[in-house]
Parts: sequence; structure tokens; C-alpha cells
Amino acid sequence: MPKRRDILAIVLIVLPWTLLITVWHQSAIAPLLAIQKACHHLVKEIFIIPERLAVHHHRLSDEGAEGKRETGGQDSKEYCASDKDIVEVVRTEYVYTRPPPWSDVLPTIHIITPTYTRPVQKAELTRIANTFLHVPNLHWILIEDSQRRTPLVTGLLRETGLNYTHLNVETPKSFKIRGDTRDPKIPRGTMQRNLALRWLRETFKNNSSQPGIVYFADDDNSYSLELFEEMRSTRKVSVWPVAFVGGLRYESPKVNAAGKVYGWKAVFDPHRPFAIDMAGFAINLKLILSKPQAYFKLRGVKGGYQESSLLRELVTLSDLEPKAANCTKILVWHTRTEKPILVNEGKKGFTDPNMEI
Amino acid sequence: MAARMKLKLKTVFVLYFMVSLMGLIYALMQLGQHCDCTEHDLPKDRAMSRLQEELYRLQGQIRQLEKMKQPEKQPPKSSLPTIFVITPTYVRLVQKAELTRLSQTFLHVPQLHWIVVEDSLHKTPLVTNFLMKSGLTYTHLHVPTAKERKLQEGDPSWLKPRGVEQRNEGLRWLREDRRTQPGEDSQQGVVYFADDDNTYSLQLFEEMRSTQRVSVWPVGLVGGMKFESPVVEGGKVVRFHTGWRPSRPFPMDMAGFAVSLKLVLANPDACFDGEAPMGFLESSLLKGLVTIDELEPKADNCTKVLVWHTRTEKPKMKREEVLQVQGLGSDPAVEI
Repeated sequence: MPKRRDILAIVLIVLPWTLLITVWHQSAIAPLLAIQKACHHLVKEIFIIPERLAVHHHRLSDEGAEGKRETGGQDSKEYCASDKDIVEVVRTEYVYTRPPPWSDVLPTIHIITPTYTRPVQKAELTRIANTFLHVPNLHWILIEDSQRRTPLVTGLLRETGLNYTHLNVETPKSFKIRGDTRDPKIPRGTMQRNLALRWLRETFKNNSSQPGIVYFADDDNSYSLELFEEMRSTRKVSVWPVAFVGGLRYESPKVNAAGKVYGWKAVFDPHRPFAIDMAGFAINLKLILSKPQAYFKLRGVKGGYQESSLLRELVTLSDLEPKAANCTKILVWHTRTEKPILVNEGKKGFTDPNMEI
Repeated sequence: MAARMKLKLKTVFVLYFMVSLMGLIYALMQLGQHCDCTEHDLPKDRAMSRLQEELYRLQGQIRQLEKMKQPEKQPPKSSLPTIFVITPTYVRLVQKAELTRLSQTFLHVPQLHWIVVEDSLHKTPLVTNFLMKSGLTYTHLHVPTAKERKLQEGDPSWLKPRGVEQRNEGLRWLREDRRTQPGEDSQQGVVYFADDDNTYSLQLFEEMRSTQRVSVWPVGLVGGMKFESPVVEGGKVVRFHTGWRPSRPFPMDMAGFAVSLKLVLANPDACFDGEAPMGFLESSLLKGLVTIDELEPKADNCTKVLVWHTRTEKPKMKREEVLQVQGLGSDPAVEI
């Protein structure tokens, strides 16, 4: 008899609480579901429209080589479900119309590119600008390794029509690479990248709610346009494979079945905290702003550890987000341009030095 | 004592029961009323309203553009002469990277038709898929180079002329294709030979569009110099500024000239001569088409460099080779 009473007592205690909890849940979830559906709908509409804005070409069909439009699906679910934003943008052939329209919805990609004067500089910047002109909401931060901003770069930036910031900081000669040796005192571009990070932190101090992604792009690499859309959904730090680094066809993060990074597929020191190339990761701007002390280490950095010197202050391995189909596609190539042979210039220089190349 | 304890427990029980019951009733009352959960929904609402604004704005833009398009019933095709770009390409590690960034430049150029000719026996899936996704108007051809003409491993790049058969194939296809196209418009155009590792500025294509016969301009980083260039006096090309074999009939690089389609079609036998000595490849085509004083100088009377003869380093595969020997090479199914 007392046992039954106990049971009754327990039931009487637990019942009201369970009812309460279920009632609360119901009231909270229903309106959210309605919003999500509406959100999906709107997002789908928005991403079909920019295509129609572009002028369509009449496509000539050739022998078995019919050009088809890429129909990468819009992943509206990703956008509406969380703070993530649209992953893929449907592209089609379009006429040169200066940078794509700026959208208020997409997070800005801040691209940090250090550059220095050498014969191929204008060529490299020209072709990389041609790539960036396709990417919506792109902000190019170009930092020259020079005492003053050069007219070559100033003119080039103005002509491209891109959204840019032009900075400069000179690496002290004692830090620079000596002659042809590949043994620099500090890795090239470090001071320039740090300056850009500082600029970002100073510019976006108060406006820390503006979404943005930071990517370090060297001026001689090759980037596919898909890469920029993959990185736009970065929450903290996202990673992907890079071709032609580390003496391999490509280096890549190791991703387990659960979609988490657990190691690095590399031969050159795979036990580095982050065995990844500068072109293989992107950082959410919020993370950069929230850790104002995180910079690339200037001195005492072993070869290949530069990326780790920044990343270890920002994330841990488990926080990394793998992109490019769980790190199975190559979307960026670490190409290097040959140094042109200028042997016929001779000592005095044969060609008109006033002509800008 | 025991009775008192029991009593206390009972009151506690009753109190608890009453409190929880009242709480439940309160919650049920709340359910029926207007929920003020702004904290929860505000960011989502904001996102929604932004999206809606964006949508209306874009819809407005479309309407405007469609209105503008209406009077222009003719397709834009007829207003600009087409630039036919002939690019020979061959399989190597950096091929996809080079083609990718080249296509990103071409996507900016209106009325461009890319003729890609592979140096291979069959069309490779890499190039086929790449061209399909590129978004460009293209033609995909292929012709293998004869073995004795091919550069062997370890040969310096200047030993044998490259891309000769491929460019000639491009010309042949173009001539055949234009014969089947009716109308005068289809005979308008410019032919340009663009290698896949050079760098092109967008202005170059606008300069070459107005070519009547053969137009020329400076090329950067070629011939062992900062740039090679035709020398212009009085609006005409008088000689060439080059550090290497200036006695050639046309001492310039493949990237330094464009030929009008009319001229190509009018001279059906003009093509590149693979047997020509080193550096004479361009001349082998041009000498049958124009004389020096017929050349049209572009790029501000040949004072600006709009194209650079960049070359891409061969990536170091030391570690890859070591791994391959061990059978642990990187997954060949991943396309690079």
C-alpha cells in the first residue's frame, strides 16, 4: 500500500513538469518553422535573378562540344538554417560588366594580397584582378612591400574598378631574402599580411556585426571562382586542399566520416599544428576581431610553420570546417611564375625604362 | 514526532502540487495569447526583410533592363566583331590551373569564341569538362604533334616550335566553319593566337577588335627583354625593337599580333610552318598575308604593354615521386 502511494506521489510530482515543458516547446518552435519556409523561398528567388540580369550570348553549338550552363544548385537550406550564407552561386556566361553587383546579403570576402616590385608584378596583378572581378562582395586589400605606394599599383587598382584598399609597409632589408637563397630570415609577405590584419581590426572595431571572411591570396596563385563561394560560409576557419605545395600534387586536410578534420595529408612535416598552405584556409572576420593579439609570427618561425603561427591562436583542429566537398576537390593551385630572362637588356638596359610593364 | 513529520511532508506535497498546477494554468493561458518572442525572431526577421528588399530591388532592375532591351531587337552579336582566340594546350600538371585563370580573363570579353586545340590523340575529359563548365563560347579540337616534332623530357623549351599543328588545326576549322555560315556578319572577326600561360589585359581585346588586316602591339617579358615592340613613326610601323634576331621578317611573338578573319579566309593556304627555324614561326604565317607597312599599330601607337609572355614554373614533385615509388602517391582520382 505504501508502495503504491509512493508511485502516485512521484507521478503527481513529475506530471505537471512534463506538461509544462512540452507546452513551452510547442509555443517556441511553431513560429520559427514558418519563418524558415519563407526564408527558403526568398533566397531561391534572389539567386535566380542575377543570371537574368546578365546579357546572354547566343551559343554556337560545335561538334560534340556543346557548352552547357553550370547549374550548381543554390543551397538555400544552408542560408536559412543558421548564420551560414549561400554556398553556391549559379554562374552563366556574361558580358564584362565591371565587378558584379554588390549584395547586401552576402558576407564580404576581404582578400589580403602582399605584393612587391618585380618584372612580372603588373602581369600577375592584372590576371588576378581579372579573376576577382567575377566575385561579388569582394574587397581587395593590396599591401606593397615598399617605402611608398608605387604609381604602377595605384594606377592598376584604379583601372580595375574593384573595391580595394591600398596599403604599404617595407620589410627592413635585414629581414629580406638574401639573393637567390630560399632561406629567408622572415617569410616573405609576413609584415604586409600583419599590416592588413591590423587595418581590418582598426577599421571594423565598432562595426563588429558586419559579416566578413578573410583570405590570404598570393598574387601568383590560381583560383577557381568556386573557391570564393565555398569560403563565404566560414564560421570560424575553413580549410581545403591546395595543389602543387609541399612537393606533392596536392596537400589536403584529412577529414573523417563525421566531417571533422583530424590530420593533414602532407609529407613535409605533417605534424605541424596546421600543415596547410596560406592559400588553403579562410578565417571569419569576427574571429579575427575577437582575438586582437593574433598575428603571424615574425621571427623564429621554421619553414612551413608560418600559417600555424597565426592559426593556433585562433582555432583548434576540431573547429576547422572542411570545404570543397569534404576536401576532395582542388579549387586553388599554388602556381609560381618563372622569373623572366632579361638577358638581352644588358647592363645599361635596352628597352625604354619609361614604359611600364 | 512522527505524526508531525508526516504532516509537514503532506503540506509540502500539497503546496508543491498547487504551485505546479497554477504554473501550468498560467502557461496554458499564455499559449492562447500573442507571443512576444522578439529576441528569438528578430535577427531572422531582419534577414527576411533584407532579402525581400533585395528581391524587390533586383526585380526592379530586371524590369528596367528588359525595357532597355526592347528597342534593340537585333541580338548584340551583330554589333561587335567576334574575336576568335586559338589556344593550343597540352597535358601537364599546371594545365587546369592555367586554363582556369585564362578563362576567367576571357569571361570578361564580349563576343569571344575560344578555340581550344589539345595536343593529344583524343579529347581529354579534363579539358572537356572544364570547357563545359567555363561559361564561354568555345570549340574543342584536338590534333597530336608528330613524335619527331615533340619536345622530349629535358629538352629546353625553345628547341622545337610548339603548338604548330594545333594552331593550324584551329585555322583549318575556322575556315571550314565560316564557309558553312551564311551572311556577311559571319565573315567579320579577328583571329588571335593566345597561349595558355600568358597574361592578357582586358584592354588588349578591345584594341584588337578593330583589326582590318594585321594589327600589332608590344609584348612584355619576351625575347630576353622587358618588352618587345614594333616601332611606330607617323602612325606606321617602321621597324621592330627586339634584342634577338631583328632581321627576321616579323620579329615578334605569337601574342603580339592579331589577324582579321577576312584575311585568314582570303588566304586559305596561309598557316604556320613547323619547319621554320627558331623564332621564325610568326613570320612563316605573316609573310604571306601582309607587308610591314600594312601593319596596324595598336596600344597607343605601341607605347603600352597589354600582354605579358609569362611562363609558369614546373611544380616540384620530389616528394610525390618518392611516395609513388612506395605506392603511396596522392589519389590520382582527384583532378588537379
